[in-house]
Amino acid sequence: MVIVEDLHYAYPPLTPGGKPIPVLKGVHLRVQKGEFLALMGSTGVGKTTLCLTLSGILPHLLRGSFEGKVVVAGMDTRDHGPGQMSRQVGLVFQDPESQLFNMTVEDEVAFGLESLGLPPSEMEERIAWALEVVRLSGLRQRHPLQLSGGQKKRLAIATVLAMRPQVLVLDEPVTGLDPLGRHEVLSVIEQLKREEEVTIVMVEQDAEAVLAWADRVVIMEEGRLVLEGSPRQVLSQVESLHDWGLAVPQLGELAHLFNRRQGTSFHFITEDEAYSALAGELPETRFLKPLHPKCTRLPTLATPREALLSEKPGFYHPVQTPVDLSPAIQVEDLSYRYNDGLWALAGVNLSIEAGNFLAIVGQNGSGKTTLVKHLNGLLRPTCGQVVVLGQDTASQSVGQLARKVGYLFQNPDHQIFAPTVWEEVAFGLRNLGFANGEVAARTTEALALFGLGDQADTPPAVLGYGLRRQVTLAAVWAMHPQILVLDEPTAGLDWRSTRTLMEEVTNLNRQGHTIILITHDMKLVAEFARRVLVLDGGRILAHGPTRQLFQQEAVLRLAFLAPPPIAALARRMQPYGLRGDSLTVEEFYQEYSALQRLDKEQRSRSPEQSEGTGAEEQSNRAPATLCPCDLAP
Amino acid sequence: MSFAFDLYIDRPSWLHRLDPRTKLAFVAFSSILLLSYSHPFVSATFLLGIHGILWSGKVPASRLRWAWQRMWPITLLILLLWPIFYPQGDEVLWQVWRVRITTQGLLQGLSTALRINALAFVFLVLLFSTDQARLVRGLVKLGLPYEWGLTLAIALRYLPTLYGIYTTVSEAQQARGWVVGEGSFVQRIKSYLPILVAVIVTALRLADNLSMALSARGFQSGARRTYLRDLELSPADKVCLPLLAVSLIVFLIFRFRHGLGA
Repeated sequence: MVIVEDLHYAYPPLTPGGKPIPVLKGVHLRVQKGEFLALMGSTGVGKTTLCLTLSGILPHLLRGSFEGKVVVAGMDTRDHGPGQMSRQVGLVFQDPESQLFNMTVEDEVAFGLESLGLPPSEMEERIAWALEVVRLSGLRQRHPLQLSGGQKKRLAIATVLAMRPQVLVLDEPVTGLDPLGRHEVLSVIEQLKREEEVTIVMVEQDAEAVLAWADRVVIMEEGRLVLEGSPRQVLSQVESLHDWGLAVPQLGELAHLFNRRQGTSFHFITEDEAYSALAGELPETRFLKPLHPKCTRLPTLATPREALLSEKPGFYHPVQTPVDLSPAIQVEDLSYRYNDGLWALAGVNLSIEAGNFLAIVGQNGSGKTTLVKHLNGLLRPTCGQVVVLGQDTASQSVGQLARKVGYLFQNPDHQIFAPTVWEEVAFGLRNLGFANGEVAARTTEALALFGLGDQADTPPAVLGYGLRRQVTLAAVWAMHPQILVLDEPTAGLDWRSTRTLMEEVTNLNRQGHTIILITHDMKLVAEFARRVLVLDGGRILAHGPTRQLFQQEAVLRLAFLAPPPIAALARRMQPYGLRGDSLTVEEFYQEYSALQRLDKEQRSRSPEQSEGTGAEEQSNRAPATLCPCDLAP
Repeated sequence: MSFAFDLYIDRPSWLHRLDPRTKLAFVAFSSILLLSYSHPFVSATFLLGIHGILWSGKVPASRLRWAWQRMWPITLLILLLWPIFYPQGDEVLWQVWRVRITTQGLLQGLSTALRINALAFVFLVLLFSTDQARLVRGLVKLGLPYEWGLTLAIALRYLPTLYGIYTTVSEAQQARGWVVGEGSFVQRIKSYLPILVAVIVTALRLADNLSMALSARGFQSGARRTYLRDLELSPADKVCLPLLAVSLIVFLIFRFRHGLGA
């Protein structure tokens, strides 16, 4: 269906007389009819460019040097422009905003059909069908801007779907969506493949999603395809993928950890596989002995709300910072109403100690951004009070608050404007009125800290996405704010850039900065945040230590959140003596290997039991002394 | 968040169902009429009539109040300043130094204020009852090239988006201690650079993506364009249009043959 042969493409130079920018350097690809192919690669390796060549936009809309061959559904893109290709290839861009340009959902879908010159009766039929497939039938007269993130993406799919293409090319269709939106979009794509036999080519960063949905994966690196195969095969190459800056499924990472430290040869990658592989190694345990008092925490979560509100630090959660218990932020009865009368926050009460690391999660539109904008005065409470570092924000300007609260916006391009990286970082310091010497010192320090020393004189706008993100973080950090707010900082970042960013943020937290992180990525929450605030419809659904939140199945379900795979696996393995509240691969491994040691010790103490083979003896096998507390490292 | 700079209010009414071309004809008819008749009585009657049309077209009173709230400052200004700066006639009511207030000046001021209000409401009849897509379709149907119509529609569609980008960018810079500049005009313009540069770069990127999205949807694919909802004149339009034409002729004859309503 799709044949790409030795494709080279270089963008025309940015400045007259400059050098062309080579992006694709010999791509070979074949996609079968009805296949669901995932394309993975870190940012800037040429994934989007490859998508654009499949639809004929390259080389027709933007010249540049094009060598090699792209044939889709028998049409060579060198002979057919994007207008003609659009009958065969539906291209869905990453940014929904720039591809929904009509006033209603119906007109949006009709646009492509009108371009093809179809009679109105057929258009009507196809619009009804396309909207039905993406489950937007009830919203025909809506303005596209009124739709949620997931709905916008599904509408973007419907617009090209109605043109009945044989191939659907999707550029990061779920990036930036909340968990519910992601699932809606992915299930629509899968249904198209299954029921309509549409061939799918999807660019995606999330290894878990690729594993769950795709038939085949290709990995792109530096303009070439470097690895291909089934998601299982490809995604278990943990070391190579990490070298390319890519994420691997969490349980694959766990298998890799076991293999490296214990010399095992596990191949599991899904929860079921991991369960059957790991459960076989441990005896099933029953807690015959009363639990150690320290362990009663989990079973006594009588009312979820109370349990969440009472903060007891997890007993082996490493205390990363000496926590100063004076609150950095106090929010009292905060409500906020937008001009159109919509209440975005209703009666929020919150206190965050200095030096804490709080994650704010919840569906899009649940009020996360509205809440944090109150911390630096970008929004003012309709009712209630916000106190930052002991002072009411009502009496302070945004400029004054900028010294205390640093705010990293979601899209780095919304703040980058300066001609050089150095100037970009110095901008905030100048605004705060520091003397030149101080500005220079802090800027140099910030550039060094975030590894941007070599780029000081480069225009930030020409840097790659990951580096642009670094520049904006350095610019905020240079102002030395006590509190740092990060609004979905990792959306669109690849695994390596995400790690770098989060490590830097953790370092700042260790130095005592209070961190507030808005994110949809539960793996990040589990690994880095110490407390979690779950918002739902402008209210607090839950607030408490991270470890406890991931035990609250009801709360998670209400907020459409899924615990990270490792947490789910740990819960499932509770009958084998695990406490079931592991948050990271490392934690799980430590607990599991402690259990292994314990089991070994017991066996060596009572050899007569381990020799027995009868069923009765099996069930009697010495779990009585086992209490999860004994496992604390 | 407001999602469109749009005055349109969706209501099931005869006014909303009228073809946009008929409403455009009504705008033309009213403008000619209001520009040729200057008597305050004519403008007042007309203004009243338009309110009748808006009322029967189910435009909510809150919208009318909104419109008047925006119109009254300018109305007041005209009523105050017109008699002062254009004192006509000899019938002096009041005089201080060289400022004269005459009866005719007052009447002229009233007449101008009424005409401007009437004209504004004529356009509001169109904008309250016609969504932007239909309006653009009407213009294309009247002979505007499709590409122009599309450009106009896209410009209208992206106004709120650009405004949203502007808001976000200015918030992002404020969070870094940026404040709206003070001082001379040049200084103030300069202080807006951090916002303007980021907005323009983002807008250019948006425009670039948009042009790709258009071609990915078969725009200019060579086929002759068809329309999902082609505009067709309804029986109501077929009554309204000749009525408008005939009354325009009658009113113009009264005005210029018989000198009425000058």
